[in-house]
Amino acid sequence: MTISFLIFLSSGLFLGWSLGANDAANVFGTAVGSRMVRFPTAVLLCAVFVLLGAVVSGAGASNGLGQLGAVNALGGAFTVALSAALTVYGMTKAGLPVSTTQAIVGAIVGWNLFTRTPTDLGALGRIAATWVASPVLGALFAWALYWAVRLVVRVTKPHLLVLDQVLRVGLILAGIVGAYSLGANNIANVMGVFVSASPLSPTAFGPLVLSGAQRLFALGGLAIGVGAIFSRPVMMTVGRSLMELNPAGGWAVVMAQALVLFVFSSARLRDLLVQFGLPPIPLVPVSSSQAVVGAVCGVALVRGIKGLRQIQWSVLRNIAIGWILTPTITALICYIALFIVQNVFELQVFQP
Amino acid sequence: MAEIKGAPLRRTRFLQTQIDEFLDAVSEAGLAYQTALTSYVRKGWSETVEQKARQIRDYENRGDRLRGEIGTKLYTEMLLPDTVGDVLSLLVSLDHLLDVLKVNIQGLRIERPVFPAEVHDTLIEMVVASCQAVEQTVLAVRAYFRDPAAARDQQHKIHFYEDEAERAGLRVLEAIFEAEMPLEEKRQLREHVLRIDRLADLADDAGDALAIFAVKRTV
Repeated sequence: MTISFLIFLSSGLFLGWSLGANDAANVFGTAVGSRMVRFPTAVLLCAVFVLLGAVVSGAGASNGLGQLGAVNALGGAFTVALSAALTVYGMTKAGLPVSTTQAIVGAIVGWNLFTRTPTDLGALGRIAATWVASPVLGALFAWALYWAVRLVVRVTKPHLLVLDQVLRVGLILAGIVGAYSLGANNIANVMGVFVSASPLSPTAFGPLVLSGAQRLFALGGLAIGVGAIFSRPVMMTVGRSLMELNPAGGWAVVMAQALVLFVFSSARLRDLLVQFGLPPIPLVPVSSSQAVVGAVCGVALVRGIKGLRQIQWSVLRNIAIGWILTPTITALICYIALFIVQNVFELQVFQP
Repeated sequence: MAEIKGAPLRRTRFLQTQIDEFLDAVSEAGLAYQTALTSYVRKGWSETVEQKARQIRDYENRGDRLRGEIGTKLYTEMLLPDTVGDVLSLLVSLDHLLDVLKVNIQGLRIERPVFPAEVHDTLIEMVVASCQAVEQTVLAVRAYFRDPAAARDQQHKIHFYEDEAERAGLRVLEAIFEAEMPLEEKRQLREHVLRIDRLADLADDAGDALAIFAVKRTV
């Protein structure tokens, strides 16, 4: 691994850092916000399981993103990731709804346009469909989980102390599952664009053999883990707001979000569905924050009309606006950045 | 390994027992107070009243000790922080009821006020309503731990008894101030009537808080 490769990779690592700083809150926020797990423990668990998820199951979503455009030069991959990172940073600063997933897709389309590589509209359509599907699926999962928990609690009527003990364990487990799924799914946002251009070769660590892509994902996973160290303020905010639902609702939201990310990352699940004659689920990165918003709506729906009235529809509208705005802005920034990198810095941004 | 796995559940069960003991203490203190007051109004300070007064003091001491232990355990390891606040607030309200029961009976013991015969029935009616409000509060708190929705249903009963106690108290006060006796005696009796009424008021306040906590915990 050369220094120049690490410099090219820096934009992806920065993206990973910012993803960790923001999205670790979605998986461990409830457990930390409710003071069930101390923040350092949550960061450690999050880092370990994000890394595991990225290395073990990161290939699926990354391949899905690769179908949209295989960025085949390190300079191009650097610029694509940098454009996505700049868009996420700028839009967050401006208070606009943004998702790393949508930014990276926009950046790849920008690279396709710049390099005159035809964009696979089928792949783009499938990815865009998952943006709508992930909050909807989040709502469905959360609705089903919360409905089931409610039923069990109403039938068994456990003592409040017992219920809280079970919820404590449940929130930690949900955080672990969520961290694994986040690593498996969102590593594609961080490192997906570098896969085709990466010079890394397979390496053996004792009995463990990691492919080049897995080594890349491990680096990205570490960046997400390091980002999680800086997630305390977001974690406390997200945790407290989710706990306001009530502890069982908070658990259902975290678990639903983890399941959504898992569904869009698991090759085994996709193959299983195909075996049963069902359509295959596209393995692509999806936004964990948008899955959380969908899941919160799902919990609210269990409460019927009363819950429906509590949903802030403006948040959903902003997400829908972000589906169009984020990729468009990123594609534009990426196109301009590629022009500058190629013509001012004279770096190769694609291999013809 | 089994030791480690079993420990949190054992601690939970022990804490459940302590909370039940605390609630028993409040409930029994309320019943003892009712018996003591009913007897005192009719027969004055007797051995029965003295015995009940001692019981109430013991219940109050036990309640204080249990509340301290339960609070420490809840804060250090047991509940979700939000729930800890709610549960402790309820236990503090109930402990306050125990304090008032003790202070009321001590006041009687020291001052030995004599209620005119014409208010006896209404006063006993008021004592019973106040003690019922306390008892219903204890029942509601017990329900909160198992079935928060049921705890909310209990609240209207507490309010009903608080209202009954207040009405009876007003009738007693009117009768006292219409009776032929020195003003200082009237004021002394009024003080004792208001103390009994305060019991029902405190129970009602605890019931109101409980209703909100129950909404927060309803799954």
